[in-house]
Amino acid sequence: MKNKIIHQLYNIMKYTMLIVAINSICLNLLLANDTNAQKAQSTKEVAVALDSYEGKLSSILRDIESKTHYKFAFNGKDIKKLRNVKLSNNNGSVYDILYEVSKQTELYFKQVNNTISVSFTQPVDSNFRVDEALDVPISGRVVDKAGESLIGVTVVIKNTTIGTTTDIDGFYSLNVNSPTDTLTFSFIGHTTQEIPLQNRSELNVTLLEDILALEEVIVTAYGTQKKESITGAISTIDNEDFGRVKGGGTSVSTGLAGKLPGVAFRQRDGRPGAGASIQIRNMGNPLYVIDGIQQDEKQFNRLAAADIESISILKDGSAAIYGVRAANGVVVVTTKRGKKGSQNVVNIDINRGFQSWVAFPKVTNSSYEWALQKVQADVNGFGSSNITPEDLAKYQEGTERGFQSFDWTDFILNKNSPTTQINISTSGGTDKINYYFAGNRNYSNSVLGDEFDYGRYNIISNIDAQISDRLKVGLGINGYSETTENPGIPGGDDYWLPKYAILRNLPWERPYANDNPNFLNDIKHNETNWAYNNFGLGGYLRDNRKFAQANATAEYEIPGVEGLTARGLYSLSNEERQLDVHEYTYDAYTYFEATDTQDEEYRVTGGSSNPWRQRNVDKIQKINTQIGLNYSNVFGEHEVGALFLAERFEERFRGTFVRSVPKTNILPLIYFNDVVDYNDQDNEIARLGYILRLNYSYANKYYLEFSGRRDASWKFAPGKRVGYFPSTSVGWRITEEEFMKSFLEGSNILTNMKIRASFGVLGDDDIGIGPYDYLAGYNYNRGTAILNGDPVVGTQDKGNPIDNLTWFKSKIFNIGADFALFNDRLTGSIDYFNRTRTGLRGRKFDIVVPSELGYSLPDENVESDKQFGGEFSLAYSGKINEITFEVGGNLSYARSKFLSSYNPIFFNSWDEYRSSRENRLQNIQWGYQVIGQFADQDQINNYPVDVDGQGNKTLLPGDLIYQDVNGDNQINGFDERPIGHGTNLPIINGGLSFTLGWKGFDFAMDFSLSSGYSFTAENELSRAFRANGGNIALHLMDAWHREDPYDLDSRWIPGYFPPNRFNQGGLSSVNKRSDFWLTNVTALRARTLQIGYTIPAEISERVKIRQARIYFNGYNLFSLHNVKRYNIDPEVGDTNGLQYPQHRVLSMGVSLTL
Amino acid sequence: MKNINIIFLTILISFISSCESDTDFLDRPPVEVISTEQAFTDQNQVLSILANLYDRQFSVYRLNDWQSFSDFNEVFVSSNDNLTARWHTNNTWPFGGINNYWTTWDYTYIRELNLFLERIVDSPIPDNVKSTFTAEARFLRALYYLEMAKLYGGVPIILESQTYDFSGDPSYLQVPRSTEEEIYDFVISEAEDLKSLLPANPESKSRASMGAALAMQAQAAVYAGSLAKYGANTPSVSLPAGEIGIPASRADAYYTTALNAATEVINGSAGTYALYKKNPGNLQENFAALFYDSDANPEIIFMEEYKLKFRTHGFTIVNQPRFGAEEEEGGALVPSLNLVQSFELLDNTFAPLATVDGSGDPIYYDNQEDIFANRDARLGGTVILPGSSFKSRPVDIFAGLQLSDGSVIAGDERGQLRDDVPGATEAQQVVGFDGPIGSRIQNAVTGFYTRKYLDPAPGSGRRGTQSEVSRIQFRYAEILLIAAEASFELGDPAAAAGFMNQVRERAGFTIPLVAGDITFDRIVHERRVEFALEGQYFMDLKRFRIAHQIFDGTPVTLNGLKSDIGLATKRSTQPWGLWPYKIFDPASPNHGKWIYKEVLSNRVTGADNWQLGNYYSIINNDILNNNPKLTRQPNQ
Repeated sequence: MKNKIIHQLYNIMKYTMLIVAINSICLNLLLANDTNAQKAQSTKEVAVALDSYEGKLSSILRDIESKTHYKFAFNGKDIKKLRNVKLSNNNGSVYDILYEVSKQTELYFKQVNNTISVSFTQPVDSNFRVDEALDVPISGRVVDKAGESLIGVTVVIKNTTIGTTTDIDGFYSLNVNSPTDTLTFSFIGHTTQEIPLQNRSELNVTLLEDILALEEVIVTAYGTQKKESITGAISTIDNEDFGRVKGGGTSVSTGLAGKLPGVAFRQRDGRPGAGASIQIRNMGNPLYVIDGIQQDEKQFNRLAAADIESISILKDGSAAIYGVRAANGVVVVTTKRGKKGSQNVVNIDINRGFQSWVAFPKVTNSSYEWALQKVQADVNGFGSSNITPEDLAKYQEGTERGFQSFDWTDFILNKNSPTTQINISTSGGTDKINYYFAGNRNYSNSVLGDEFDYGRYNIISNIDAQISDRLKVGLGINGYSETTENPGIPGGDDYWLPKYAILRNLPWERPYANDNPNFLNDIKHNETNWAYNNFGLGGYLRDNRKFAQANATAEYEIPGVEGLTARGLYSLSNEERQLDVHEYTYDAYTYFEATDTQDEEYRVTGGSSNPWRQRNVDKIQKINTQIGLNYSNVFGEHEVGALFLAERFEERFRGTFVRSVPKTNILPLIYFNDVVDYNDQDNEIARLGYILRLNYSYANKYYLEFSGRRDASWKFAPGKRVGYFPSTSVGWRITEEEFMKSFLEGSNILTNMKIRASFGVLGDDDIGIGPYDYLAGYNYNRGTAILNGDPVVGTQDKGNPIDNLTWFKSKIFNIGADFALFNDRLTGSIDYFNRTRTGLRGRKFDIVVPSELGYSLPDENVESDKQFGGEFSLAYSGKINEITFEVGGNLSYARSKFLSSYNPIFFNSWDEYRSSRENRLQNIQWGYQVIGQFADQDQINNYPVDVDGQGNKTLLPGDLIYQDVNGDNQINGFDERPIGHGTNLPIINGGLSFTLGWKGFDFAMDFSLSSGYSFTAENELSRAFRANGGNIALHLMDAWHREDPYDLDSRWIPGYFPPNRFNQGGLSSVNKRSDFWLTNVTALRARTLQIGYTIPAEISERVKIRQARIYFNGYNLFSLHNVKRYNIDPEVGDTNGLQYPQHRVLSMGVSLTL
Repeated sequence: MKNINIIFLTILISFISSCESDTDFLDRPPVEVISTEQAFTDQNQVLSILANLYDRQFSVYRLNDWQSFSDFNEVFVSSNDNLTARWHTNNTWPFGGINNYWTTWDYTYIRELNLFLERIVDSPIPDNVKSTFTAEARFLRALYYLEMAKLYGGVPIILESQTYDFSGDPSYLQVPRSTEEEIYDFVISEAEDLKSLLPANPESKSRASMGAALAMQAQAAVYAGSLAKYGANTPSVSLPAGEIGIPASRADAYYTTALNAATEVINGSAGTYALYKKNPGNLQENFAALFYDSDANPEIIFMEEYKLKFRTHGFTIVNQPRFGAEEEEGGALVPSLNLVQSFELLDNTFAPLATVDGSGDPIYYDNQEDIFANRDARLGGTVILPGSSFKSRPVDIFAGLQLSDGSVIAGDERGQLRDDVPGATEAQQVVGFDGPIGSRIQNAVTGFYTRKYLDPAPGSGRRGTQSEVSRIQFRYAEILLIAAEASFELGDPAAAAGFMNQVRERAGFTIPLVAGDITFDRIVHERRVEFALEGQYFMDLKRFRIAHQIFDGTPVTLNGLKSDIGLATKRSTQPWGLWPYKIFDPASPNHGKWIYKEVLSNRVTGADNWQLGNYYSIINNDILNNNPKLTRQPNQ
């Protein structure tokens, strides 16, 4: 542990040093731009001895430059055209020499400070061939509205090219010719000011922000758009909002719960590093686009949240421009970049938190309770129990060996396991170059202890440079290294056994033989013995992913056509993964006490002799290229824009898997002789698209946009590769209309109202076929047969080629409105959408070929479904005295309905009722309806309906009574009816957020709401002593039971659950899906609560800190939901509640701005 | 600065011009796809296709899917709660069998065999190789049709690959079911052809040989013969057009074919095959070794071969004795007392295992294994009995301690120790490390473990290594017993006894059976014990039409269990167990001795009830729906 702290400190220092180093380099770059402010000497006072009398003008000027402080500013091409000059003297003042040059060449010289500009015409303000500056010094400071210094402001003497820029503290100094000159101050994002000197020698200026330039922009597909001109259904969230979530070692996706209207959220698994599943309008897995590059959920989740500037969700036809993969909506992520002409800022945010599970099924930790329940269950199931009343008494006493209690939950779980996030970033920019650099460390232990951990380093560098007046280039580099580590134990998921152990291990079982920690106790199901689930006995698993990406961009303003730019992007990423697993052999012991004849003995009675060593090495390379033209221009009230882009995407996956049976637990390498399995993979993906977009708007009132994409995917047969995806949208800002303006008469009630509609066709090539299904032939490596001792790798006919399929089309219609009221204090939007997908893969049923044909007719693009719903969001921001506050909320609803398949065939009307999908809502679960529980044996004996299929012989009081819907006196599949929703994402999603600010204090709280999905309790949650005699969940102790467990005739005491039986499958009450065990979940969850305090600037600035804030953050503090009965997190999906639940995280943090 | 713009444009233009065309960009060559022409050019490549067809050979019984061996009540299924419940609380047997083990309709396999046979014709490989490959593919096709016939009776016989022409009328593709007679005739005639086309090479065990063709022919013929003869006992199990049901008149012809084919093998015309007798000193071990020793094993005629690293299965992992298992797993299929007690005494008589004496008092055994003494050596070779060993580790099977007052102290955990055993001064182990514990799974719930096909090689019980024991499809003992059965049915019981005695002699019987001993029950019994847990039992019950008598839905009582052993139609609706108890009574001379009790696990709540429909597997609705010319099964 101590080593880990040192390791962490080392890493922090490493990063700090790195950033400091980067910083100092950049600052030097900035300063290099600064002009020398020291007083210049007159050319008459400076003598110079030239190397020769005659020569090229340029070499004479260079000679002067090398021997004096002066620099010449001239156009090299023009100078080259001149004849050589021949001087009378090579010795004298600079003035004299230049005067002679001027006479011979008709050039004019003008000195300003140490710069001498050379021109072919006489400057207007001069009557001299060689004009000397008057050397009027002028200086001052440029600040913004808030009084913060502005660096890199261009200060120029009007009508000249002479000027300078402000330094890091906003100061400038400059010599002007005349005290009546006018200075021009210009700075990006600010209004340019021209100020006559009027004989002042000091001129301080406050530059105001250019409101128009700073209009809120939203990142959309392939660019940005002004918010007011958005015509699609796009929701955006910026860092300030999702950055509040301090959920431990979690992923970006976990910060989005309830934040964005139209985004369905559920996080089933909450282990460190796990992401949530999010879907846009429940349409399926969305496409992720990060900084313009199509990526996947995996990369999205591994971004450092602090490096993200904003996330936009394209929910409708506005996504169509992404073509073939956009059918389920698009998540567009933009990482942070430095702002042009902004100060250099260093941000440090350090957050340390402690995690525990929000909920997990609870089991009894008392041997006595277990034994008592087991007696009941035995008697209920078999009529008698192995546990005698005497035994029971011993369990109650709990002192004798084998009768004591042991709390496995407590033994396994590590409450308050730590998590740390550190982010250091720096950003800034001049008018020519801007940058953002950041390093991020994310580290988290699991509640299973410090051997189950997750850590990630992220590093990012985004630089943009204006390298000529027309050419802008950018380079973004980012990468991460991620390590997941845990003991190597049997099973595909090494978190499973420890979790299962909590439910499986019995309170009288003990981890160590004779409680001696040197000897693993043989508890007969040793894989769940937590004492073995560690690096020492179990082995190890290390999963390391390294990812690096470089995005190079260039934008060139094409001369001659105002507003036309060419742009190009090239992105290359490499991901490398290495997974190493080594599961050890181990022994488990039984302790035998010393006897008269024998010493005490720890005898090996269990364990495993199976050594398992595997290694996966995967390499994924992705290349994305975009090249295109962009046009945008304003003609009076008409604003037009166009984009044409060609895009190519290719990906190659190469992976090897090797497995060995090592001779020992010690050696980590894999040796040829031990290898038993080897696999090699090499897959490619290639897609390309041509994109066209046209925008038009009139008077910021009417908006029209059309976009189209022609896509081609490698997956389909050559003739079926191409698809077209058009979309169009319109918007109308009513509040800009004259009649509306006159109606509102300048009141602030309705400040903005826009109605918008869109329609688009999107595609999806993920239709369930493999890339080469269109080819005939044979597949190699299909099975291995041993033919008389020789292993022969098999080759199999590929089957009939599938060359008729292409992508399915998804048509999405959206209509919505955005509004702002009360002087923009109340804003909101409302949307309705309807997506119809046609061409889904399905079968034409009118031609049936015999199964004996040996292949089935290929599926065709024949089925259709639809997804519909809407969203509503509202936010209010206000101020009361010194308190500022914001309240926001959103609610969305999205369901899917199957529309039609091709001529479906049903065997009978029941079959049609039960299995038809035509025109029905999807994601419906069928099951039995419970109408009560049997009150006593008499009721069972006289009950007319055969509930258990065995003449009710297996039933006991408390068992469930299912409704005999069809009245045939038996319960079977014909009595099933729809009882629940799907088990996937919620149909209804929503969120609420509050923020408050008062002086230095800030407070924020978020809730998320989800409803419309089902959870079914099964296995360990519905059956006590499951799986070969596991433990009993606490809630199941509230079951019907006999007053005297040993007396078959004693009175039944009612409980909530049916009576428990010992380890019996096939019981009527638990082997059927019914609405007793199925819950339609609704959950309201407090996601984030944050309280912060910013130390007043006057205090922090004393230690050179611009801003210092400390905060406390609580994540997942509580939730209200209707599956509390099972002690589970409402988002888990496993029916036994065994998934790794989400963490509750309490954390403290500091953020500093230097 | 202008220069930079030019450079940029130059790079841009060269970049664009160097791009591949869209088509080239999208064409990504596959790495594992071979064209049909390529596939048939190279001899090794053709063998690779054939290897895939061997790999996919079908049998209801599969070592990598051990549950398929859970034949009714010959074993108790204790791998997990749900399976136990499905097998033993069930009282009606579904037409497809539990987990649909009795179904297959893999015409894709047939199509690929047909395609292979069609495409190899023009292959440039040498003619002799081509002819053998062709014969092997025909063998696999006939074998698959035989397996289908056993499950379904007559099925459509398709010997050429078909292609749908998208004309809108698929009726030309619709092939009706053959008669049951035709499909057996097809297999028999294919075998007749193949025996001259395939090499007479007894060393070739996992590739088709002349011996394999003859064995297939003998098996098909004896099945057909018995179906013709005994099908008459269940007249309702038939279809009017003969898809089910073979005329009784053909019985003799089939038996003759079977006897001839078997005789050819016995005569050595396909090379030398013999019973496995490498270890005459230990007949139990010898019998067990027959299954795990594939090194020059003269008994194996055809097998599905496994090999470490390349093709392995987990049969040993799931079935190994739980105590000392190489993995925390084992004891999934545990043989029942029903099976164990059916092994004869060495004097050729049948008797239950003696748990009590004539007056009903328990018999005290000094050693656990004593109760099994003087029985058929195949018992110990098939079943791991209390007191025996596996991988040189003795199994530890006992259900509890019986005290002087007759009360029993047991435990709920394997190997449980208790401090409170009356009369003991120190902690006593009250239950074996292997169980039996009735309420638990994965232990010797019946008192026994499976031995047949269990692999004694180190590592065979580990998930990372697994077992390379091969599954035997045809072995010489079956040839002998087919010869015995056919001789008996053809009225030559003396010859039948002769064949049967060869098998029995290897099992340790010293008194030969004579003609008068040979009865129908004998024939059925001998096959049951010889082929226990090999998958023949279920097929025999069907072809002899006795399953509905054995599984009549009535629970098995203790008396019922112990009587009529050796009767072919003896009831066996529930799997019983036999639990050893250790006497703990330091004062008594019986202290430390063993007694046995018959038990029926409380997990067994159903009694198997065989519906007449079960004699043939269901043909699923979708299959019937796709081809209107297919007739439904009787009772379906």
